[in-house]
Amino acid sequence: MRHDGSRYAHHGSFILNSRFVIILALTGTLLACGNPPSTRIVDYDREYPPENGGTMIDATRGEPSGLITMIAGEAAASAVAQNIFSSLLRYDKNLEFEGELAESWEVSPDQRVITFKLKPGLKWADGQPLTSADVLFTWKLITDDKTRTPYGSDYKLVIQAETPDARTFRVRYAEPYAPAINSWAGLDILPKHLLEGKDINNTAFARNPVGSHYYKLDKWRPGEQISLVRNPLSTQGPAHIERLVSRFIPDEASQFLELMARNIDTMALSPVQYARIFPARPELHRQFSLYKELGNSYTYLGFNLKRKPFNDIRVRKAINYAIDKQELIDGVLLGMGEPVASPYKPGTRWSNPNLRPYSYDPQKARHLLHEAGFRDTNGDGILERNGKPLTFEILTNQNKQREMSAVLIQRRLKEVGIDVKIRVLEWASFIGRFIKTGDFDLVLLGWQLAIDPDQYAIWHSSQQAPGQFNFIGYKNQRVDKLLERGRMELDPDKRMKIYHEFANILLEDSPIVYLFAGYGLQAMHKRVKGIDDPAPPAGIGHNSQDWYIPRPLRRTEISQ
Amino acid sequence: MLKYLLKRLFWMVPLLIGISLVSFLIIHLAPGDITTTEAGFDPKSSEESRQKLRELYNLDKPVVVQYGLWLERMAKLDFGTSFASHQRPVFWRTTDQDGNVTTGMIEEALPITLLINILSLALIILVALPLGVISAVTQNRLPDRTITLFVFIGFAVPGFWLALLLMYWTGVLHDWLPISGLHSQGAEHMNWFLYSWDTLKHLALPVFISALGGLAGISLFVRNGMLDVLHQDYITTARAKGLPENTVVYGHALRNALLPLITILGLSIPGLIGGSVISESIFAIPGMGKTFYDAVLMRDFPVIMGILTIGSALTLLGNLLADLAYAWADPRVRRGAMQ
Repeated sequence: MRHDGSRYAHHGSFILNSRFVIILALTGTLLACGNPPSTRIVDYDREYPPENGGTMIDATRGEPSGLITMIAGEAAASAVAQNIFSSLLRYDKNLEFEGELAESWEVSPDQRVITFKLKPGLKWADGQPLTSADVLFTWKLITDDKTRTPYGSDYKLVIQAETPDARTFRVRYAEPYAPAINSWAGLDILPKHLLEGKDINNTAFARNPVGSHYYKLDKWRPGEQISLVRNPLSTQGPAHIERLVSRFIPDEASQFLELMARNIDTMALSPVQYARIFPARPELHRQFSLYKELGNSYTYLGFNLKRKPFNDIRVRKAINYAIDKQELIDGVLLGMGEPVASPYKPGTRWSNPNLRPYSYDPQKARHLLHEAGFRDTNGDGILERNGKPLTFEILTNQNKQREMSAVLIQRRLKEVGIDVKIRVLEWASFIGRFIKTGDFDLVLLGWQLAIDPDQYAIWHSSQQAPGQFNFIGYKNQRVDKLLERGRMELDPDKRMKIYHEFANILLEDSPIVYLFAGYGLQAMHKRVKGIDDPAPPAGIGHNSQDWYIPRPLRRTEISQ
Repeated sequence: MLKYLLKRLFWMVPLLIGISLVSFLIIHLAPGDITTTEAGFDPKSSEESRQKLRELYNLDKPVVVQYGLWLERMAKLDFGTSFASHQRPVFWRTTDQDGNVTTGMIEEALPITLLINILSLALIILVALPLGVISAVTQNRLPDRTITLFVFIGFAVPGFWLALLLMYWTGVLHDWLPISGLHSQGAEHMNWFLYSWDTLKHLALPVFISALGGLAGISLFVRNGMLDVLHQDYITTARAKGLPENTVVYGHALRNALLPLITILGLSIPGLIGGSVISESIFAIPGMGKTFYDAVLMRDFPVIMGILTIGSALTLLGNLLADLAYAWADPRVRRGAMQ
């Protein structure tokens, strides 16, 4: 093994040498690190003390459409913007709130007023002071009717916002609104001195932003990459790594080839890459560490509760018992996921530890269907009630994991006498034609494992109009009450009890079948040190400012 | 001649309007709009704000009214701004009052797609011409059979599969060529020579892959054209008067066999601005194909319409150019067109 490793390293530096000679001969440019001795073996497993500098390159599948996240809401945009902009609050490694720009925050006894106190001496990356006036300005922007944002509703509940002094920001709500705290952790504060009087919808600032976080924009090569450089005026103290580069590589296979060629340092892996390709290639393990994080979303099978026979709880439970969740996890995710029994991240305070997913029990499923009046009267293997066969359609969008899950579910349901067809659609058609109109039997979809427990928009019976999110038509008065109470309760412990009970009723009612929550799988080059392993609930990225790349392990860079 | 040209140009206008109307209607037939794709499924977004967006984008109006608004803008050559990309101009850059420049989407995607397609077309012609001639001259013998077999294999091999294999071979196993993207890290510090060399190395695989598929068509076209010509009486005459075979083939036959190629080249002009989604995704090249595909998935109507309009205008222009070039090259056609 050792010998093999040295040959590998030797091969690598030979190529560096020839490249070096060409560059030197043609232009006289110099390599920053000079010429590494050709016999050196780089031991990436060695520990080094933290130091500043270096470049980390990652790959994302999409390019941000802009970096003002209230308008560009896609994942690619927030992934970059989170390194540039700060919010008042943020989540710590255990997904509890902590101050980001705010030093402290205080909820009034009547739970209607929240007062944020900013940290002293905050500055924008351009050197201007960051004050409560910037926070007020950002709030005005997102609640302005001319701003083209779909995210204004949480902030429009504020009936009065004021800045008693340059470090204090106070908001008043008409009635207590618990998700408010979460909303202030999600709002990127924008600089008033650069944006006042501009049209936020088409300002050039979106592609050339000035923020207050660890990094600032260095260069955006459209269609190719964004590079960020350390912000010395960061409101959060300095980060170690000098430069972050995000390359836009839409294809997963190409990303993996770039990783294998060590041109990128990190990427999100698919289960196949994590569980099949990596174990088969020891040379990758010598250079890369693998991390497993709690997933951000769960996949479910949702019933159209307005349609027969899904209004019958026995049918819903029967289908729940008939589906083998472990089989889905093993088959679709290659074991890289876990079953869930509530819509919250397992291990966090909102997730009720006493709840267990429905077991795989086809006998029970058959029994429940029998009880609901379904019999196989004509002997074709499919159950009927009143002469009508138990047959329906599972609808899903173009997503490999969901398509594979649908096929496995189809087989399991067939075994208990249910005939299922599968229809796969492109996203916009799927939403526009079927979800909005409520024209479906079953949907196979995913929801976020939200960090804030409020799920009013998804489960409250008032949220069923076209375009709203309770499209399965779930209606339960106890759940409605709990969701309303949960929104009014700002005390975390009391809130926790409310949502534990909510999740309990939801599981009992079975309006959806929780299928699985896939893990986030990340490969990271071993040159990047200081990463928490195993990953805390917030994922490995929570302390990226502490990551560092020791000088001997850095990639050779062309400079000047 | 001038009258003929003006007449052709004049008739392009109603044709373009017709094409744009049909495309506009078909796009709007598909379910969904920008408000279903952008944050359409984020519980933090609300239906009221989505309704507000629909009103701002005029998506709540009847399709005919929307088409009228679009046509009105197009009459001023205004391609509008993208829904999905933070109001970026669809076609060309704009400058705001502070002098900040926002580049257009087509402006950015078009040059790279044009470069790849022109390089690949040049490569195709460069390789297909000799292959076609050799095939024709050695008709039904070993060289002909071998060439035909290989160009067909090139045509039949799935491009994405071969692309990934080549990327693995030239980029991972050996450090010969970059795997994806357009420039290396630190390319901005290179001088123009190294920069161009770096870009060419990045373009090598994409150009090769896109040329491989087109080789079969053109080389067989040349082969058949040559075969037709080689059986003409004047070739027999040329041979009979004892001209060397090379003069017969290259001096007399090839020139006439190339005439139909003009049509093919004219028709490939609109193809020059269309990129391949798969190839652009695999090689991470920000070209027209990916831009258009993403726009369709996002229901970004101004971008879709912008690309379709430019594409159809170029198709019509390409047809016209092909006709003109044909008339220029072939006196018989010229006389016919003048009458």
